[in-house]
Amino acid sequence: MTDAAKRFREEGNRRFQKGDYNMAESLYSQAIIADPKNHVLYTNRAMARLKTNQWENVVADCRTCLGLDPDNMKARYYLSQAQYALQDYDDALKHALEGHALCVKNGDKSMQNLTDQVLKCKKARWDQREKKRKREASDLEREVIRLLEQERDTELAEYTDEGTRKEISDEWEQKIGSMRAVFDKANPQKEPPRPDPPAWAIDDISFNFMVDPVITKTGKSYERSSIESYLRRVPLDPLTREPLFITDLRPNIDLKKACEDYLEENGWAVDY
Amino acid sequence: MAGTFATKRLGKELAKIHESLPPGIELVSADNFEEWFLDIRVLDSNPLYLNQIYRLKFKFSAQYPIEPPEVVFVKLADRPIPIHPHIYSNGIICLDLLGQQGWSPVQNVQSICMSLQSMLTGNSKNERPAGDEDFVRGNRLRPKDINFYYHDNDV
Repeated sequence: MTDAAKRFREEGNRRFQKGDYNMAESLYSQAIIADPKNHVLYTNRAMARLKTNQWENVVADCRTCLGLDPDNMKARYYLSQAQYALQDYDDALKHALEGHALCVKNGDKSMQNLTDQVLKCKKARWDQREKKRKREASDLEREVIRLLEQERDTELAEYTDEGTRKEISDEWEQKIGSMRAVFDKANPQKEPPRPDPPAWAIDDISFNFMVDPVITKTGKSYERSSIESYLRRVPLDPLTREPLFITDLRPNIDLKKACEDYLEENGWAVDY
Repeated sequence: MAGTFATKRLGKELAKIHESLPPGIELVSADNFEEWFLDIRVLDSNPLYLNQIYRLKFKFSAQYPIEPPEVVFVKLADRPIPIHPHIYSNGIICLDLLGQQGWSPVQNVQSICMSLQSMLTGNSKNERPAGDEDFVRGNRLRPKDINFYYHDNDV
């Protein structure tokens, strides 16, 4: 890093620590002018821009950073946060997962944050889809009912005597009622009570839904970020109290897949 | 101030506690995710603890359950400190599962209460730990930072 860039950056860091994010941002910008190829400066500025809700600018900085340093974990984390704020949940999830994978690879302590971010994105994406599905269902209901009413009116127009008209009218009323009942059954107005999520999907340490389960020598699985932060402190198996090291942990691929599949259909389970 | 990791997990523990607790354990208060109070009593007729209720104070750090909670007995007019060779008269408990090394993150508030219940139930000695007076007078350490010597874990 050039001396000028370094000076601007250090002053930027100081301002950032004090909570003066706008000033920090402009100092990081000056550092970037002095040294435009330094990837660290872009994540610094992205962080300041995250604090001031400049989502589009965060996205731009993170993309520049990743162009210079493709394996940058922080850039992915910030990018995911900005995309989440922009309600672009598919991309937010993609970058959170990539950031998480980098944490696993490098033993980065931010793994807890990335795990939380993955769950947050999955939940938001599911909520968004649910909303869309409900909206589409109610649009369809309206459309179908309108067609049925049209059909009824056409038929009614062919008759003039009151008795027949009443008969036709009643018949259609019943059909329309049945149709509404079918839609109600498919999309109840009141949410049915949610069951508890399956116990196999819940981490016994954080009590959270698992994102990246790993299995111990005894065959018990935990969320990777939870068990790793415990083993860094005390290298003992939580159940048997036998020696257990982070390097002994293995990914539980099938359980991971089962957790993913379950959340795909039941995004609410993130906040059970 | 407890962090989100601790907060989330304690929130879920509390929801379960509100649903049901094993006999002899009652929640007194859990107004925040830093300090909870629970009452326990033994379920058998051990004469040392007969008809007595004891008050426990739990303190959680932001790292809970990676780090153990701090658990002590609290003395009130109707809540004495139970007599036990591993419980000091100021309420500090000498139990390996509450220490930095003995703690496991799969333990929880309820399981701690149950361990303490059985620790009392299984005791027949009407005595305090050795050096209780000196310890109570001189100790300035937080319970979890004390390196107890677990000399007789079968008590």
